[in-house]
Amino acid sequence: MKFTANIREFFGETGNLAEFTGRFFSIGIKPRFEIKELFNQCYLIGYKSLPLIALTGFIMGLVLTMQLRPSLVTYGVESQLPVMVGIAIVREIGPVITALIFAGKIASSIGAELGSMKVTEQIDAMEVGGTNPFKYLVATRVLATTMMLPVLTVMGDAICLFGAYIGVNIRSVTSFHLFFTQVFHSLSFGDLLPAFTKTFFFGFAIGIVGCYKGYNSTKGTQGVGNSANSAVVLSSVMIFLIDLLAVQFTDILGLN
Amino acid sequence: MEAVIVIEHLYKRFGANVVLNDFSLEVGKEENVVVLGKSGSGKSVLIKCIIGLLRPDSGTIKVFGENIPDLNHEELDRMRTKIGFLFQGNALYDSMTVRENLEFSLRRHWIGFSQQKIDGLVMEALENVGLPHTVEMMPAELSGGMLKRVALARTMILQPEIILYDEPTTGLDPVTAREIDNLILKLQKKYHTSSIIITHDMNCVKNTADRVALLLDGKCYAQGKYDEFERSTDQHIKQFFE
Amino acid sequence: MANQGENNLKLGVFVLAGLMVLILAFYMIGKNHNLFGSNFAVKSHFSNLNGLTEGSNVLFSGIQAGTVKTIKLLNDTTIEVTLLIDDKVRAYIHKNAVTAIGTEGLMGNKIVNILPSPGESPRIEEGDLLASQKNINMDEMLQTLAKTNTNIAGISEALKITVLRINKSALMDLLNDDGIGKSLKSSLRHIDQTTANAGEMTNSLNTLVAQIKAGKGGAGILLADTGFAKNLQEAMLRIRMAGENADKLVTQLNRDLTGSKGPWNVLLKDSVAARNINRSLENIEKGTDGFNQNMEALKHNFLFRGYFKNLEKAKNKKNTSK
Repeated sequence: MKFTANIREFFGETGNLAEFTGRFFSIGIKPRFEIKELFNQCYLIGYKSLPLIALTGFIMGLVLTMQLRPSLVTYGVESQLPVMVGIAIVREIGPVITALIFAGKIASSIGAELGSMKVTEQIDAMEVGGTNPFKYLVATRVLATTMMLPVLTVMGDAICLFGAYIGVNIRSVTSFHLFFTQVFHSLSFGDLLPAFTKTFFFGFAIGIVGCYKGYNSTKGTQGVGNSANSAVVLSSVMIFLIDLLAVQFTDILGLN
Repeated sequence: MEAVIVIEHLYKRFGANVVLNDFSLEVGKEENVVVLGKSGSGKSVLIKCIIGLLRPDSGTIKVFGENIPDLNHEELDRMRTKIGFLFQGNALYDSMTVRENLEFSLRRHWIGFSQQKIDGLVMEALENVGLPHTVEMMPAELSGGMLKRVALARTMILQPEIILYDEPTTGLDPVTAREIDNLILKLQKKYHTSSIIITHDMNCVKNTADRVALLLDGKCYAQGKYDEFERSTDQHIKQFFE
Repeated sequence: MANQGENNLKLGVFVLAGLMVLILAFYMIGKNHNLFGSNFAVKSHFSNLNGLTEGSNVLFSGIQAGTVKTIKLLNDTTIEVTLLIDDKVRAYIHKNAVTAIGTEGLMGNKIVNILPSPGESPRIEEGDLLASQKNINMDEMLQTLAKTNTNIAGISEALKITVLRINKSALMDLLNDDGIGKSLKSSLRHIDQTTANAGEMTNSLNTLVAQIKAGKGGAGILLADTGFAKNLQEAMLRIRMAGENADKLVTQLNRDLTGSKGPWNVLLKDSVAARNINRSLENIEKGTDGFNQNMEALKHNFLFRGYFKNLEKAKNKKNTSK
């Protein structure tokens, strides 16, 4: 019977998450907005994540380039390295790697923060104090992740491409201008737009999952730890699911 | 005596666990009622129902004549400006300074207060609890007793007419606990508040109670003055004095 | 929150920087795809686009000049492609320019090349239809190669048949037939005999004349008879004519055999024709050789390596199963 219990739990969890998302749309995005807290969260979530995203993005671009080079050399199309790397970064690697790093940093911190606030009754205190905690805590964080991840992804892409440029220059020499021209020459709006659009959904998923897990944290230190942990796991899975949906959707729209 | 809180036939259950089972209680104006009960007897559930954090399964909770479970979100918010709640774990926002903690509730209720007036109210509240020097400190820097007093200041800054205390002396040493008791009494006299105090600390009951109610098996098992309880031969009541 | 203002400032810088990068990226892509700046449209018809898509680049003499705007099927063999051309190159494209679909590099994207044609022509205008050039692609190359292959096979087949036919032909029979030689020989022998006969006749006549001169027999009397003498003269004349005729026949035959005209001679003596046939066969051999080399080269091309490997595998399989 444990199996059926697990199934029930899974569907129950899915339903709760959906209900939580519905609550975000029915309560979270109605006035009054917690503008000041939103800016504060944007600063904490977006600006403070930039160094991490920049570091991982740079390394990713460098490593990807160096890994791709041998096979391109085999085919004698080494000169296409910037094109290849550019498309890979802009279309897939930039958004997904950024989102995963972001999920690891932000979903866990939101999960732990809201979890401990829940456990120490701070959320109740807020409610009693006349502040809607859903608006103040959840809506601001979800909006912040939704708006900040695309910005971070764009920055991450740029840094990743710079890493790729360095990577190209390790074994051969190419001018920055040529690299730049080659990359942008191979890109089209069909590459950039869907990749950019899906990061909004990534950000939303990370925010809502982190908040949901924290908001529904159970008592005790372990409960808070579990919230943080499962927030990262679930939001990472969500990123891949959304990525899958996005590629199908852009395929249907003919943007691929 | 005029009653500010009237609780009648309150039922609340979590799954198979019946917590409140036909509970009734009245609290008069400027009266301190202590609800006595064992851990897990449903005392916290009771006051969370009064503040509207939990919704009872049935029964009425009338505060100033309005039934709390019937109120919508805005009405509940308005009602909560008249009810203060002191949490067991203080529930201070640990990411904010003491000043921000105190301002946080304040600016919700009276938007349009000048910064000077807000500063004045914050300092007054902190002076009431004797901690004006902590205003720029973070909660993590304060001791348990100070935290409780800052939490009390945050509750009092709204100048509520009713205050609900959730185990105010739990976890404190006896000396600090008496300080908190005295503070409760002092503030009650100063602001003419009515209170429900939930506790299992008999010293706290002795110091603060105008009337004692014993919560047992989800019902109001007995009510009376502290002296009456002390003299009682009922074995359930006697347990608390041992 | 004394540093709230400063935090917001940092946040603002961060967000604006992100937006700048994004806008720059959009602008760069847009510039490459001619979304900004003035341009004009021209059309061209193709029968096969080979994978050209909307947004593909248009090059004029190898310079980026615009993009493919729309692709429309007009009927089953004609596709209309609208090209957006940058205004900057308008002055250099003439109405007689030719379009062709090409590839960037060996495996790259499909592009449209606009190639100038020699000769005077007015400048291009909005909406003009440019002539298109049929392009060569790998598939067609292979198809042509296959066709060449069948052609060579056909030619060698035809040659084989010709050679066989020559072998079996009547002329060859003539050359090989012993009987004809024999009858030719006997004809010559007949002529020889006739001549011999004529010689004998002359000899007999000589003896007769000698006897007459000696006045022996009654013949001497006959000599006085002039009528007899006249008859004898006529007979002599005829004999001479027969001899002359026989001589003429032999000369004629000789001339026929040594002269340059007539089917006999062609068959027996013409070395030029023989050399031609020889060379044709050599050429065919060379052609097959070249084709073999082509196929070998293709085998080593990485594109087809897989295909030929499969082919070999199938072959090995067949052999082993045999």
